[in-house]
Amino acid sequence: MVLAVSSLAVAFDEPLVLLTLAAITLATAALFGAGVIGALTRMRRLLGVFAAMGVIQSVFTRGGQALVEIGGITLLSTTGLERGASIILRILIIVVSASIMSTSNPRDIVQGLSQWKIPYELSFMVAVAIRFLPLLREEAEDTLVALQLRGVRLEQMRLGRKLSMYRRLLTPLIAGVLSRAENMSISVEMRGFRAFRCRTSHRHLKFGARDYTLVFATALSVVAVLFWRL
Amino acid sequence: MIVAFDVDYRYPDGTDAVSGASVRISPGEILAILGHNGSGKTTLGKLLSGILKPTSGRVEIDGTDTRRMSLGRIGERVGYLFQDPGRQLFTSSVEEEVRFALDIQGIAEDRIRHRTEHMLDTFNLLDLRKSFPFDLSRGEKQRLALAAVMINEPDFLILDEPTTGLDVRRKSELSRLLIRTGDTGVGMMIISHDEEFARGHAHTVMEMDRGVLRRA
Ligand SMILES: Nc1ncnc2c1ncn2[C@@H]1O[C@H](COP(=O)(O)OP(=O)(O)OP(=O)(O)O)[C@@H](O)[C@H]1O
Ligand SMILES: [Mg+2]
Repeated sequence: MVLAVSSLAVAFDEPLVLLTLAAITLATAALFGAGVIGALTRMRRLLGVFAAMGVIQSVFTRGGQALVEIGGITLLSTTGLERGASIILRILIIVVSASIMSTSNPRDIVQGLSQWKIPYELSFMVAVAIRFLPLLREEAEDTLVALQLRGVRLEQMRLGRKLSMYRRLLTPLIAGVLSRAENMSISVEMRGFRAFRCRTSHRHLKFGARDYTLVFATALSVVAVLFWRL
Repeated sequence: MIVAFDVDYRYPDGTDAVSGASVRISPGEILAILGHNGSGKTTLGKLLSGILKPTSGRVEIDGTDTRRMSLGRIGERVGYLFQDPGRQLFTSSVEEEVRFALDIQGIAEDRIRHRTEHMLDTFNLLDLRKSFPFDLSRGEKQRLALAAVMINEPDFLILDEPTTGLDVRRKSELSRLLIRTGDTGVGMMIISHDEEFARGHAHTVMEMDRGVLRRA
């Protein structure tokens, strides 16, 4: 479900479709008691960036009516506004989807995927990815602090330079992920992971009424959206 | 002088990591903080260096409330060594890492060169200058992170577990360096599990126990 909605979100860019999708995602999140509010407040800080994107889109794409103009250069147009809004909605959908995913414990996700006959190596990978996201955020935050302590004044920098500073966060992040992945693969193999092709499992997950409804609703809305736009 | 007045800190998830801590770091003084895992040492270090702002109480660096200082301004006065030094390295070579703080300030090239060489030499990093920081061993990363922070000549140093990953020889080299640095009037806080190391250097030893700081 989460995957379906997020892929639709990437595939379509009309604001109306996105708005509908956003509504669906929010409803699901509420149903499963995900920490939406927390996710949203975190997003608030990004609003400035989105506003900037709206302006940039307006300046560089023609079309639509000009809303704000200075010296013949369109600063804000309806197209730009529309695109800006699409970006916000899209990211909203992805963020909320992610918070839905994180309500299930990783063990359940592995089990669920395995019961769908997906090889357990793969489902294990998904679970590990979900488990490590918060850790990655923490690491990136520390690196950002370290950058600033060495005299990088992000608040006074122009966008281009700021972005190139943010790009520096990637190196430690990727290096950290790689070394962790290496250690983990050694440690799981030593505990007998992949020694046999199938794994027996003590846990068994059942589809509840809520899950059936959800799958059905998702299928329905995917079909509806596809018909509506194609 | 860095002074904490009755500082509490609670993480967003509700964990009370520090309660009612009052402490000062004076110029030229070495303060050691001991304590078990999870007792709040790192949190205290981040509070005193202004990285975290207290939930209640206040921290002042030379009389200015850390809430009113940007991280950039704090970095000019306080050098902070992260518990995991890998998180504070972000360039593509050892040399670039060491000179980064000076490059950012736009200092003249020959001066940067001079200072960088001096730092590389002090921390035994000359042979590693072209290496990729993330390929270094833990002890080497530690030395690199210290060099990168100390090139800014901060007035205070807050070191979170500086001896982890150092062998006996590097540890005694670090000892000598810290003593020399202290003699130039730099105030230091050393967070450590290594009681012997901490007691060997500190003028004051304090202990953290479940968020409460007391004199040991
Ligand atoms: N980002 C965070 N969010 C929530 N709780 C945290 C966070 N960081 C630390 N804590 C909690 O705060 C308490 C103090 O942590 P802190 O890292 O300051 O301990 P420490 O004394 O440095 O431990 P160690 O010796 O393992 O480094 C612990 O209970 C820890 O679980
Ligand atoms: Mg710690």
